[in-house]
Amino acid sequence: MRTALSWRGDVLVAALAFLALAVPAFLLGLPSVLDFVVRFAIFGLLAMSLNLLIGTTGLVSFGHAAFFGSGAYAFGLLMQSGGWSIPAAILAAMVMTALLALAIGALCVRLSEIYFAFLTLAFQMLIHSVVISWVSLTGGDQGLMGGIPKPPFLGIDLGNQGHLALFSLFCLLASVVALRQIVRSPFGAALRMLRDNPERAAFLGLSIFRYRLAAFVIAGTFAGLSGVLMSLYVSGAFPTFLYWTTSGEAIFMIMLGGITVFLGPLAGAAIFLVLNDRITNITEHHGLVMGTILLLLVLGLRKGLLDFVVDAWRERRERRA
Amino acid sequence: MSQHDRGIGRRSTLMAGAAMGAAAITGFPMVARGQGRQPIKIGMPTILSGRVAQLGVSSRNAVMMEIEKFNAAGGLDGRPIEVIVRDSRGVPAEAARIAREMITSDRVDLLFDGEPSSGGFAVHEVVRETGTLTLHLNSETSSLSADPRQRFWNAFRIARQGIHDSIAGGAYAAEIVKSRNLRRWMTVSPDYAYGRDTTAEFLEYLRAFAPDVQVVGETWPRLFQPDYTENVTRLTQGRPQAIYSCLWAGDLVTFVEQASLYGLFNQSQFFGVNMADYTTLQQIKQLPRGVHSGNRYLKNFPPVPGNLAFAEEYNRRYQTYPTNWAWQSATAVHLITEALKKVGGTDPRALANALKGMTIDSPFGADGKVTMRAEDQTLVGYAIGWGTTISADPYVENMTTADWSMIFRHEQEWKRAKGWA
Repeated sequence: MRTALSWRGDVLVAALAFLALAVPAFLLGLPSVLDFVVRFAIFGLLAMSLNLLIGTTGLVSFGHAAFFGSGAYAFGLLMQSGGWSIPAAILAAMVMTALLALAIGALCVRLSEIYFAFLTLAFQMLIHSVVISWVSLTGGDQGLMGGIPKPPFLGIDLGNQGHLALFSLFCLLASVVALRQIVRSPFGAALRMLRDNPERAAFLGLSIFRYRLAAFVIAGTFAGLSGVLMSLYVSGAFPTFLYWTTSGEAIFMIMLGGITVFLGPLAGAAIFLVLNDRITNITEHHGLVMGTILLLLVLGLRKGLLDFVVDAWRERRERRA
Repeated sequence: MSQHDRGIGRRSTLMAGAAMGAAAITGFPMVARGQGRQPIKIGMPTILSGRVAQLGVSSRNAVMMEIEKFNAAGGLDGRPIEVIVRDSRGVPAEAARIAREMITSDRVDLLFDGEPSSGGFAVHEVVRETGTLTLHLNSETSSLSADPRQRFWNAFRIARQGIHDSIAGGAYAAEIVKSRNLRRWMTVSPDYAYGRDTTAEFLEYLRAFAPDVQVVGETWPRLFQPDYTENVTRLTQGRPQAIYSCLWAGDLVTFVEQASLYGLFNQSQFFGVNMADYTTLQQIKQLPRGVHSGNRYLKNFPPVPGNLAFAEEYNRRYQTYPTNWAWQSATAVHLITEALKKVGGTDPRALANALKGMTIDSPFGADGKVTMRAEDQTLVGYAIGWGTTISADPYVENMTTADWSMIFRHEQEWKRAKGWA
């Protein structure tokens, strides 16, 4: 009963968040806000999915962009082949990403810490090289060209910026609700135990390998979905999607927003994108300014923003009590 | 406890400072400002940081220089052109985002896409949807305009094109092959789509013009590879009579310097399609004599006063010489300002119609003119030539001008073979 209630509660909160974000975006009618919503959904979802590995399971993956990019390429290629509707292609792209994550994860999750991180990085660079070299299929370094057809479905036309923004927001919030249910389920509790004390979990009879692999596949699948949204947004897929810098940015968003608070990565994605956009508008020395601000944030807070806020709030409450 | 409190205090001070700094810069969302007598707005995503920054900066410089002239002469009935330039850092997705943002938030009237092919295709996809009039300044990949599936009414290429260079290069090299009897060839080109495609195209035309040429080996260095010893060794061991390369910019500089040490240029004739650009010529410490090169940009080719004047004014302003991206960008300004004057406004359909088939006088034209070809909306008639290097300014001599009627003929055959014509 409790889980059912909390499940409904999450959906309710998500629906309210949807209204709270979508209504002002449309009332303002500013295309820049709609654009921001799409990109926030993309990178928010990427960071949230990665945090299932980093924050919940304690596996720092440097290769998460492999699934982001695979989702984008799989979806783009399916749509370009013709004969696929968008929902079917999205599901197929997510299934393909899940299978890829299953294959890579089966080899990676036996390791932990730095070895795990480097193996994921190695697989990502392997996939990147394949995409670069397989010019006839992927377009090589020029990316998947020729545009991605967006036939309307159920009255939704993703060629329209407003529809794409709402659709991306819906995907983000639905995924966040799903991720929250996963994190709060017994399965999520097991993942946290694996993170904090793998030996104990093993003694209790949990299969470390299976649980970690399941987390890896789930995280990869959601990253695939965010890749699909990205390919819809730019009408193409590019090798930079699965380059290590994209993984790095996702890790950065998590660090900025906070690892331990569930919604931390979303806050991090928002901060990162706002900073990125404003800085490219005012200066050519993007790296210098961005680096300085991030340095100040990191040195000043020494943890993610939401981690900091939640800790400060708890401390204040304790002091009052 | 008091220690702890102080810690929090310092941290919150730091955080407040950082937050204020962030807020000062961000100020999101942007609000459209009221508009009076509007300037004509052009958005320009290009690469201003990283390895290709030099080219992106030269593209921007040339646009700014020519736009200033147009504005100083009164603009379009008093309406000046305003250019918004933003750095994509060479990331295609970022180029697409910036282009989209310029269209939707900055409400630009048209786009100058200052990206190379990778970002250029990303911008291409954005404007295919938005219907914004767009001039691609630096995408040389032939399919961008040659492939009918890539074509739509609002996108134009104002840049040289790979296939034109390959035909011109093949014809020039075939002449040298015949006069010096160079049969054994090898290639050294960067290992990515551009390198592979351009090399294959060059060899195709070399063989078409000189059928007895044999390619005895090829070596493919990675893009941005720092050390070419392995490739140079393969080339010296293969003992080719001639070598073709489409390495470019920093990679070509490094390769030429390392290959000089091994005496490669004494052993074989070297054909570098991307050699004759000042970014490369001036960077090589000891430029070997007699290397064959296509013109990227040279102030003495085409040898007309307008071209020299362009180079010198550019040099006076920016203390450096123009690049290939610079003449292309300047040509884009010349074409669009001509179209604006003809139309008398910024209606994209009318501008696109005016651009189609437009011929203008140009210091960069093979015969003093360049044309925006109507059928595939790409620039033709620009000066293409090949010559040999000398170690000091003007760096290249004995320029041979390519014959455009010959280029057109072979280009048409190439399109037919691809199923594009």
